[in-house]
Amino acid sequence: MRADSGLRVEEDHPRPPRALPPVPSANQDDIPLSRPKKKKPRTKTTLASASLEGLAQTAIHKPSEGSEPPAKEPVEHLEAPVQKRQRKPRLSLELETAFTQKTTSSPSLLPNENGINVEPAEEPVIQKPRRKTKKTRPAELHYANELGVEDEDIITDEQSSLEQQSVFTAPTGVSQPVGKVFVEKSRRFQAADRSELIKTTEKIDVSMDVKPSWTTRDVALSVHRAFRMIGLFSHGFLAGCAVWNIVVIYVLAGDQLSNLSNLLQQYKTLAYPFQSLLYLLLALSTISAFDRIDFAKTSVAIRNFLALDPTALASFLYFTALILSLSQQMTSDRIHLYTPSSVNGSLWAEGIEEQVLQPWIVVNLVVTLLVGLSWLFLSYRPGMDLSEELMFSSDVEDYPDKGIKASS
Amino acid sequence: MLQTSNYSLVLSLQFLLLSYDLFVNSFSELLRMAPVIQLVLFIIQDIAVLFNIIIIFLMFFNTFVFQAGLVNLLFHKFKGTITLTAVYFALSISLHVWVMNLRWKNSNRFVWTDGLQTLFVFQRLVAVLYCYFYKRTAVRLGDPRFYQDSLWLRKEFMQVRRLPLAKALA
Repeated sequence: MRADSGLRVEEDHPRPPRALPPVPSANQDDIPLSRPKKKKPRTKTTLASASLEGLAQTAIHKPSEGSEPPAKEPVEHLEAPVQKRQRKPRLSLELETAFTQKTTSSPSLLPNENGINVEPAEEPVIQKPRRKTKKTRPAELHYANELGVEDEDIITDEQSSLEQQSVFTAPTGVSQPVGKVFVEKSRRFQAADRSELIKTTEKIDVSMDVKPSWTTRDVALSVHRAFRMIGLFSHGFLAGCAVWNIVVIYVLAGDQLSNLSNLLQQYKTLAYPFQSLLYLLLALSTISAFDRIDFAKTSVAIRNFLALDPTALASFLYFTALILSLSQQMTSDRIHLYTPSSVNGSLWAEGIEEQVLQPWIVVNLVVTLLVGLSWLFLSYRPGMDLSEELMFSSDVEDYPDKGIKASS
Repeated sequence: MLQTSNYSLVLSLQFLLLSYDLFVNSFSELLRMAPVIQLVLFIIQDIAVLFNIIIIFLMFFNTFVFQAGLVNLLFHKFKGTITLTAVYFALSISLHVWVMNLRWKNSNRFVWTDGLQTLFVFQRLVAVLYCYFYKRTAVRLGDPRFYQDSLWLRKEFMQVRRLPLAKALA
């Protein structure tokens, strides 16, 4: 029955599969570099490939030996692996070409061998689960695809097993992919469902693939940059607004502030909304300017300020303007609630107008100047952003440290 | 590990609350047609600050630094934000109570005194600082280094441990 299965398999894959076996031997050159732990399983594949080489040799010998019983062969094949282990890397390519040539050159011999060697078909089958367990240990996470059943793991080729017959006289079994993978957990091998393991490892793979493309750091950085754009807009808008405001005030007040009651009447609807808008823009601009000099790192900010860095000066001016503007809240509300002095309960007694309005106009003028100056200072170095440099590139600084610590 | 989508969601919520805060600070004086409107705005504003405090602490708890037990390091690093937020919360509530008390009967009355003006200036100034520090902290907490063990973390830990020692020696 086994013989039948062996033959059937051979019939299913008449010749083309014969050209495949060199593949593992080609792989083995680069694999050990990345996975040194897997040497053990690999030596087996070396054996297998070596046996393949042996096979190639037997293919050469075959014409002379013909239908000779395999009694002699074991000697050859015992030698072959030993040699191959030493010559392995060099030979892998040669082997490939040589093997394909040999097999094509002696097609008629192969069925004969299959007929002889029935038992060896089971040999690799027993090794397979053993190999699996070893594989899964180092490759649990990173080599998800290794959990799958690869074609090369299922050796349908009787030829390769032929040589191992004498080398390994292990018990026999039936070769078929099992649904279980044996994973080492707390010093014991436990059966795990292969498909599930593949799923979880694939998931990890996917998340690992996605991560480098868009991390939380990138989100933070993009938000930071977006806010810088808003800040840039508010700097300019604030400067323009303040200038417009002071022009309107002076125009309405007339020459030498002679027409203050006109100013109050015209401006009273505008005063409070403008005060609110000024606070909003000033707050945005101040935050943005603080961002640029990384105000939270006080030492850096103070050093920059003492060095008369334009950005540091600008943030200081913005903060001053904010304080001045806020201090006029009471007066703004008073203007907002303006009623002529003749009206009962008016806040504006006769003759008080100039006394109240003069400082208010001066403060507004100063705020305008400060805001305009800050805008000029900022536009001197519009690209400067210490927060971004200090906050987001600090991991770059870590690497040299790492190197130093590792070397020391 | 902090998920990018979660972080984006939390960050946008924080920014929403911050912008609401800024909006109320700017325009609450204009929206005083009825005292109830201002009252509701103020209540929501204070709740927003409270929410922001809760969110930032939840973010702290989520970091590897915190879970590793290095609470001190985290608080040391963000003590400015924590203090400012607490101060701002206190100032906001006191100003709101004061203003609402004065304006409850007649919302269009001139209520300003020197004391109120001073409190107002301080509250609005601290609001700006709070906004800046809170925004910075929220953005910084997106740094993946807070969510994994690293050389940087060990270095920081050593620095924090050294500080009290240096103070004791001085």
